[in-house]
Amino acid sequence: MTREQFITLVEREQEALRGFLLALCCGNKGDADDLAQDALVKAYLSSAGYQDRGRFRSWLFKIAHNTFLNHRASIRTTETLDEARILISPNAADGSFEHQSLYLALRTLPPKERSAITLYYLNGYDIKEIAAITDTSEDAVKKQLSRGRDKLKEKLKL
Amino acid sequence: MNKDKALEELFLAQKPQFDDNAGFMAAITRRLDAVEYVRQYQEATIRRYKLAMIAAFVIGIISGAITLAFILSMPTDIPLFTIHVQSGILLWLAENSRIISATILALLISLSLMSIASNVHDIMRIKKERSLSSPISVSATIGSRPTK
Repeated sequence: MTREQFITLVEREQEALRGFLLALCCGNKGDADDLAQDALVKAYLSSAGYQDRGRFRSWLFKIAHNTFLNHRASIRTTETLDEARILISPNAADGSFEHQSLYLALRTLPPKERSAITLYYLNGYDIKEIAAITDTSEDAVKKQLSRGRDKLKEKLKL
Repeated sequence: MNKDKALEELFLAQKPQFDDNAGFMAAITRRLDAVEYVRQYQEATIRRYKLAMIAAFVIGIISGAITLAFILSMPTDIPLFTIHVQSGILLWLAENSRIISATILALLISLSLMSIASNVHDIMRIKKERSLSSPISVSATIGSRPTK
């Protein structure tokens, strides 16, 4: 894949990718865009190994998902402190998304459940595709979806 | 598994709209340019190392062969070189000319081998750094996820 082809595909998919990461980052647009940029650079560097089967978006989401998990793993120690800071800050929560109930509810889910729920409800993937993107079994995805959905409904009082 | 309608509607209603797509694309294009620059620099470095390795190999072989041929072509009962000066050190050099030539030959071959080994090591290191730093760990990033 040439650089131009890659950029053309990215132009088409970047909104979906950023939306996915925005949900995973619970509305933190700065983090979401940083992760999107990192994921796209990684995708570009491994684009030689990409086999075009019309699944560029899934492939991109897989890289983005792993980038997000790596990011989470790297900031795990400071996360609690950051979350506390966000909660007590007067102009907290970067932008309008942060205060939206859905993002606040998503924040309470573990990353894997959050990924599964986001891919299922926001991006419209089926269980088989989610299993491929998140590199887990279909049964595991079903459990994550079920648990995540129950927790979200409880938090959102749906 | 059936979708929960209420949740689905909530997600769809809150689907984000981005008004800075041009800025985002400009930023990613700049990053790709930087990545491309680094990649080309690394490839050029590897090419240079490979050339240096080949040059070292060829020079080592040719120098060794010439020296060896020179030594072998000389009669064994006559010193390889003679110095017509009555000096202790120079006389010693003349008497041991064959050993000295063989030592120089061994040094040349050793230097060539060390140069080849060093270049191979550097090429391996650069390739390893490249695979770790990006695609970095791209293959690692795509293929594996962090463990708890």
